[in-house]
Amino acid sequence: MALDAGIGEWLLATLLLFSSIGVIAARKPVHASLFFLLTLMSLAAIYLQLSAQFIAVMQILVYAGAILVIFMFVIVLFQDAYQQIVHHKSGSSPPFLFAAAASFCALLLLFAFGLQGLPQQYASLPEGFGMVQLLGKELYIDFFFPFEAVILLFLVAVVGALYIGKKGSL
Amino acid sequence: MNLLLVIFLSMALFAISIVGILARRNALIFFLSIELMLNGANLLFVAFSRHWGNQIGLVWVFFVLVVAAAEAAVGLAIIINLFRLKQLVDVDQYNALRE
Amino acid sequence: MRYAVYFALFLPLVSFLSLILLSHVIGRLWTQRIACTAVFTAFICFVGILVTYTSEGMAPHKIFLFHWIPVQGINADFALRIDPLSLLMALIITGVGFLIHVYSIGYMEYERDFARYFACLNFFVFAMLLLVLASHLLLLFVGWEGVGLASYLLIGFWYQRPTAAQAATKAFVMNRIGDLGLLLGLLLVFHIFGTGDIAEISQRAAQELSNGAPLGLVTMLLFIGAIGKSAQLPLHTWLPDAMEGPTPVSALIHAATMVTAGVYLVVRLHALFILAPETLQIIGTVGGVTSLFAALCAVGQTDLKRVLAYSTISQLGLMFLACGVGAFYAAMFHLTTHAFMKALLFLSAGNVIHMMHGTTLMEKMGGLSRQFGITHWLFLIGVLAMSGVPPLAAFFSKDLILEQEHLAGFETLFYVGLTSSILTAFYLTRAYCLTFTGVGHSTGEHVREAPRVMLTPVAILGLLSIVGGFLGCCDHTSLLESFLAEVGITLIANDVGGGFLLTRETWLSIGGALLGVGSAAALYTSFRERLGLPATALHRAFFIDEIYSAAIVRPLETLAQFIAKTAELRLFQGSIDVMATATQRGAAALQQLQSGQIRSYVAWMVLGMTAILALFLL
Repeated sequence: MALDAGIGEWLLATLLLFSSIGVIAARKPVHASLFFLLTLMSLAAIYLQLSAQFIAVMQILVYAGAILVIFMFVIVLFQDAYQQIVHHKSGSSPPFLFAAAASFCALLLLFAFGLQGLPQQYASLPEGFGMVQLLGKELYIDFFFPFEAVILLFLVAVVGALYIGKKGSL
Repeated sequence: MNLLLVIFLSMALFAISIVGILARRNALIFFLSIELMLNGANLLFVAFSRHWGNQIGLVWVFFVLVVAAAEAAVGLAIIINLFRLKQLVDVDQYNALRE
Repeated sequence: MRYAVYFALFLPLVSFLSLILLSHVIGRLWTQRIACTAVFTAFICFVGILVTYTSEGMAPHKIFLFHWIPVQGINADFALRIDPLSLLMALIITGVGFLIHVYSIGYMEYERDFARYFACLNFFVFAMLLLVLASHLLLLFVGWEGVGLASYLLIGFWYQRPTAAQAATKAFVMNRIGDLGLLLGLLLVFHIFGTGDIAEISQRAAQELSNGAPLGLVTMLLFIGAIGKSAQLPLHTWLPDAMEGPTPVSALIHAATMVTAGVYLVVRLHALFILAPETLQIIGTVGGVTSLFAALCAVGQTDLKRVLAYSTISQLGLMFLACGVGAFYAAMFHLTTHAFMKALLFLSAGNVIHMMHGTTLMEKMGGLSRQFGITHWLFLIGVLAMSGVPPLAAFFSKDLILEQEHLAGFETLFYVGLTSSILTAFYLTRAYCLTFTGVGHSTGEHVREAPRVMLTPVAILGLLSIVGGFLGCCDHTSLLESFLAEVGITLIANDVGGGFLLTRETWLSIGGALLGVGSAAALYTSFRERLGLPATALHRAFFIDEIYSAAIVRPLETLAQFIAKTAELRLFQGSIDVMATATQRGAAALQQLQSGQIRSYVAWMVLGMTAILALFLL
């Protein structure tokens, strides 16, 4: 396939793939979360390339800064538990899981081959695309209701997490 | 950035995350793979937002980010509870809801 | 008049229901009273209706109750028809029925199931009345089936006896075979005429024939129904076996009334039958052959009731013989006199049987004229009347039939009827002699004459047998004839020799009767000991029962066994079992799906996702 992309883009792509494979292949959970951090960073770099500055920053702040941190906390909590996994037999039959994964990947591969003739024209970007002001305007004016709804959802999630996580009976 | 390349990257991320879900038994890595899936979708949104010159995709990404954060919090709370119950992080041992 | 009819028809039904439902509460005495009063009241009502009818100028009435099946093409209404034919039959049914009810009080005195007996008897009266009073063919069919049911219930009254139960089933099944023909005939009638009303059918018959309606087929099918009900060849074997029931039942149902339903059907629809000469020929032939066949079989019977049963078959054959030449009046006349005489014979035989505690074999009897002083005279009257000795009843009716045969030109049928009459005289006298004369063979128990409650009805019947002939005897002046002429049932030809100058045929029949009586009397009084048992072929009625059993009954039983044991068990039960186990196994298989394993669930979801994406993409 003819992909005219610069060397930077190829580098970033390789980094992304390598780190994501690292996430799923790591033995220890701590290593997996560090690979995850690398994935998030490379994603943020790609977002910057795609002129989505605000999103890139949000990604680092929220994902890498908040989600990854609480993941780390929980991993530290379960420090040695992961070693017990090998002592039990697998609950689901591995061939079946392999077949499911393989069929999905095959389909995506097939799809990818069919995507070759995609036009590569870019529309002209408006002034301030991806910046806070423009995005803020969109959020607060055009998408106000979903914005408020999602805040409510967040509130509910926080309350729920507190409730589920507290010690003692549920 | 080449649109096609980004699309391929997104698909690859998604496929890798599916493999991760099916292959790993550790609950935390399981959960990490799910977050990977969300990131793959985000990448696609951003790419097409850039392609069409529209901000709507970015707004979607914003919302997905928020929801992902909420979901991560609740999910980890549940996993902590399960760990307290079973003393194991093996996903295959969380099978009380069976026939 | 309407209300009299309602009362008369439904009172036996009400009595039946109350006896069935309240049999625990009512004692014996009240059961008797309720049952007999019901029938007596019905009889009185019909007498009243008769008086009103004749005084009002003899116009047939149709009494309409309600729309029963208002379907286009059948239009069955619950309507009753009052005309001379139905009145005559109703009077016979209720009159003779009442006498038999009174008789049964005495006959069933040792019986525990008193109420059930009288209830069934009342139900029979109701059904038979419905049959003769019906104005629509479908209603007639209801009555037809009703009497079949009553017959089954009463033949199998002593149901603990296996022979009785089998006989009841046999009677019902053979009736059913005839009913198939009747039903097909009815359906064809509905199809041709568009209605089942008897009066309309009779009026439109000629017109429909000219339109090309297959009246021959219709009448043949209807006659098949009559064959079944009236025990003609080949559906006759149920009647001798029906003697397993109590004797009053045999008298009422299988002599006087139910078996005459076939003759009634033919006479009622005579408008149809007249237009189908081929069917009439068949009717005549079947009647004649049956008459001769049954008479021969009766000669060889040793059971008193069976002699009378075969005699009934033979006389019914004579009635059909008369119908076959179109002499419907002669058939009805003989039906009336036969009702009296046969009931008389059966009831007096019942006297003997009851007082001898259930014996019916004539070998065990003999010389009973000393103990049964009155009964044996009554039986003798019945024998002589039935044989056709003048001036007792059957002389007039039987002679009329024979004359009509001759006048219509059917010489062979005349001689067949004559031979049958001679044989009738012979075997009846034989029965009398074997039972009442000679040396007694009974086993020592002291036997008395029957009580008065049983003797009185028999005496009344004896009287009727003597004078009944004068109802319809001389031409152009007889009561019955003018009565029935309203509905078009007349003599097909009037005999030439008027007055007392009796014709050759009459002398032949008188001579034949005297010959039969005399020869039997001579043989069985003097040479009784030397005669021994009768010929096997005659005794077993030419083995027809055995032939039916081997050719029809056994294959059907084998088929039934096969279906019950093999097909039912393996096929139907097996398929149900297979379905049940298959469902259970399927469920067990599906249970594996819900394993509680998250990864399996995810895998299934991924597979599903793949499938849908493939559907969209490819």
